[in-house]
Amino acid sequence: MKEVKLFHGPNHPGMHGNFSVHLTVDGDTVVSARPNPGMLHRGFEKLMERRSWIQNIALIPRICVPEPDINEAVYSMGVEALAGMEIPERAKYIRVIVLEIARIMIHLMSIGGIGGPTGLYTAPNWGIADRDLFLDIFEKLTGHRVYHMYIVPGGVRQDIPADLLKEIEEKLDDLEKRLVEYRELIFDHPILHKRLKGMAPLPKELALDWGITGIGIRSNGFDYDVRKYDPYLVYDKLSFDVPVCDESDAYSRLLLKFREIPQSMRIIRQAIADMPAGKVRIKLPGNALKWKVPKGAVYSRLESSRGEYGYYMVSNGGLTPYRVHVRGASYPQSLYGVEAGLPGTRLEDVAVWLDTMGVCAPEFDR
Amino acid sequence: MLQKDFIAKIKQEFGLDPAHIKAVAEKKLAVTVDSGEALSFLIYLKNIDFIQLSLITAVDWIDENRFELVYTLVSWEKNLTVSVSTFIPRDNPVIVSVRHIWPTAKYYEWDINEFFGIIFSGHPEMGNPLFLEGWSEKPPMRKDFDPQAYSYERFPSRKYDYKVENKGRVIE
Repeated sequence: MKEVKLFHGPNHPGMHGNFSVHLTVDGDTVVSARPNPGMLHRGFEKLMERRSWIQNIALIPRICVPEPDINEAVYSMGVEALAGMEIPERAKYIRVIVLEIARIMIHLMSIGGIGGPTGLYTAPNWGIADRDLFLDIFEKLTGHRVYHMYIVPGGVRQDIPADLLKEIEEKLDDLEKRLVEYRELIFDHPILHKRLKGMAPLPKELALDWGITGIGIRSNGFDYDVRKYDPYLVYDKLSFDVPVCDESDAYSRLLLKFREIPQSMRIIRQAIADMPAGKVRIKLPGNALKWKVPKGAVYSRLESSRGEYGYYMVSNGGLTPYRVHVRGASYPQSLYGVEAGLPGTRLEDVAVWLDTMGVCAPEFDR
Repeated sequence: MLQKDFIAKIKQEFGLDPAHIKAVAEKKLAVTVDSGEALSFLIYLKNIDFIQLSLITAVDWIDENRFELVYTLVSWEKNLTVSVSTFIPRDNPVIVSVRHIWPTAKYYEWDINEFFGIIFSGHPEMGNPLFLEGWSEKPPMRKDFDPQAYSYERFPSRKYDYKVENKGRVIE
């Protein structure tokens, strides 16, 4: 039969971010797929080489739009490892609280995002509305809603007020009560069952070949989570479970995100209860803008909502980073995965595939 | 697996000089190998359960006239992260591709080829555009590429012919 070339994205309701996939279809079935990144390339790595270690704080949250705090944390952890700094205990707890709120926010957003490819528009209304309540918390804490620039090398910018901690707990209680409704409205909805169950399967062998981490590998029965395997901050002192399921399809991957929300709530509540008093930031030596980080190289990583997020950072003892390489969490599935896994999918399921695999354009097209 | 057991293991099995192995953190190691034996060392690591290739990155050491390639590998079973560094000359930047060992390496290598001009032999896409469509300058992540000079040359400052009316007047 005659094959037709189609462009999926960047303007497509099932495509999040400026990314496109060139599809060759035979009838309804995808024969070959080629990722076409580059529309979002902003040259962050080069820009970071021209700015001082502290100036980069304003730049890095922009790398990943929906999940900026992860970038701040992994960058700060890398710089601290290079400089051999140990941050105050309270700052570690505050970072955990911020990162887990960010994780809840991105999961709500991606549960909402499933509305685009499936046509279940209840999901975005609920997900985005609840995310907005957490943006209010960030506005009170940092002064910004989306890009916070709150986690900095040496700790966090400011202490978290006691009444805000209370408000966080109230918001968590409120959301927890409504999680039942999320399940009834979204996850038990016949549209989602019909469109997602058994769709976009990710066999174990493929997942290992692609080097997928995060939800992709946890939906295949591996409990790999950087928070458990290589605990950073205070994750080794907090108790939480890593949700795992055996068979990876679009529905189980979306459900795993939903099942991670209560675990994040559990972590936040423990962190609030255990948080010690004290300083939240140590002073950098000398003038912060002229801070010279000692020579060395480090690969710092942590668990983002889509998998392992890493920064490879090199310092030559100068005022600016010598080299920074951002390893976005969705790099394997978005580039190699699209090429290797998308063929064989039906055209109407391409958007579901891309959505539930967690393709996020800004973090690999940095 | 404990870090020091692992160091002893690769010393014994691969015969690597322990001076080339550095413990970075509790679960992180940095290993430096010659570019000639890099491939065999990476294959060895893959065979002892380093199934996840996290990142391939390149660093341009322009003063020493060489590129550094860093392969970051993770073993879940041993719970260890190993960064394997190797150096290649800047004048003739060629190294063997590892995409047959870790298929996902295809895009990391393509990415580096585009931004550094390093050639991975055995890779089918060398020289083809991935991120930078229509780019004709030298590879942009090299240290001798100056983005500021490039943008001044490419986008020169223009003079606009316009008149500001009511200049200095405060609008209430």
